[in-house]
Amino acid sequence: MANREGMVRKTDATERMTHWILAGSFLFALFTGLGMMFHHWSIIPTILGGYYAVKWMHIFSGVVFSISLIAVIIMWWVDAGKFVEGDGKWILQAGGYLWDVKDMPPSGKFNAGQKIFFWFVVVFGILLVITGLIMISVLSFPVVVARWAYMLHAMSVFVLASFLMLHIYLGTIGNPGTLQAMLYGWVTREWAQFHCPRWLEEHDKKINAEQE
Amino acid sequence: MAEYIKLIDTTKCTGCRACQVACKQWNGLPAETTHFTGSYQNPLDLSYNTWTLIRFDEIDVDGNIKWLMRHDACMHCEWPACVKACPSPGALVKTPEGAVVHNPKYCIGCKACMIACPFDVPRYSPEKDEIAKCTLCYDRITNGEKPACVTVCPTGCLDFGPKDEMTEKARARAEEVGGYIYPNNPKYETHVLYVLPGGVDMKAYSHLNPDPKMPATVLWWKNLFKPFTLLGMGGVAGLAALHYLIKGPHEVEEKPSKGGDADGE
Repeated sequence: MANREGMVRKTDATERMTHWILAGSFLFALFTGLGMMFHHWSIIPTILGGYYAVKWMHIFSGVVFSISLIAVIIMWWVDAGKFVEGDGKWILQAGGYLWDVKDMPPSGKFNAGQKIFFWFVVVFGILLVITGLIMISVLSFPVVVARWAYMLHAMSVFVLASFLMLHIYLGTIGNPGTLQAMLYGWVTREWAQFHCPRWLEEHDKKINAEQE
Repeated sequence: MAEYIKLIDTTKCTGCRACQVACKQWNGLPAETTHFTGSYQNPLDLSYNTWTLIRFDEIDVDGNIKWLMRHDACMHCEWPACVKACPSPGALVKTPEGAVVHNPKYCIGCKACMIACPFDVPRYSPEKDEIAKCTLCYDRITNGEKPACVTVCPTGCLDFGPKDEMTEKARARAEEVGGYIYPNNPKYETHVLYVLPGGVDMKAYSHLNPDPKMPATVLWWKNLFKPFTLLGMGGVAGLAALHYLIKGPHEVEEKPSKGGDADGE
């Protein structure tokens, strides 16, 4: 593994690729879905080759989303799925984003806010997949189930698309030096010490152990 | 353009099925091979190629069999749930005449209309991957003709005319036979009205929704979560921008660097 002066590697290539396949398929499904939902946005289906094509693109991107969602859940289950001591305090202090906090509990690879986002993606992502599968074969289900599927699909999009905007802000301009963790994986040691000191500590221990 | 209503006076229906045949003929719909199932119901249900049919129900009246015969087709809702649910512009259209018309050219076969419809009317063809249903003979009524089914009805069970005239006729006939008008929901009007006889439980009619209305899930889907998706995305993005302007980005606190990665030292 190549090394960079003053940097640590936050994510490996598998994590980054899985993340972007999930993100890309969600965004594509989101825009094809919005294109079908808002008739004023017919520009989207027009560019993509019409509403019939968009229906199948939406279904296909949903399949990609489903598979990458499962991969993300398995991949980050330990790091992002499990809340640990200190996460509660992190949440009560709003991560230090809204007012000045002196004693932030040290975060691991993911902080409590990222874990909340992870769980939103898990719960509403799975809801999207299940309701989407129902909608593909909608006539095989009782009409009550089918009607709820359409409604819950839209509700899940509302929740995830809204949360996504916060995710994008905090992953880019809201936290300078963060985006590169998901682009090429390397962050500065200062960044890691500030954002995820517990992870940096474990990371250094692991690297030292490998050297001995 | 005048609004029209198709009036179905079930007290005059003899179950001759001329309306079924006329519908097939005018709309060029092929016949279906059917089998006897112990009932006069034939075909068993609406389909992609059967846009109207007579529903036969048998009820027990003082030990005798009594037939209930009901001409069933699209109800042409004033605020159609199918149009609200349809994702493809032009695939389902509510016309000024009151007819709700599907256009196969724009239908993408998503079946959302079938789920939304409170009367279970649109039917899907897997081969064509599109839906079809009664159009109130839109091509006829916009040319001064009555729908094909109405034209051939021999007993006067089916009638078609301006909204006010038909509403008044339905009211008078319901009073005359001691029956009632269906649907009777001022919040969910239709351009098809029934006169149903009194003394018969509405539940005895198969495939008749006793309380037709816009499904609540469709309202939540289209009136709530649809706009909320944009409001949510825009709102959160706006709050993020405010946070950036007021509080500023979460800069990493400057600390003396420990040098490179541990394995590089």
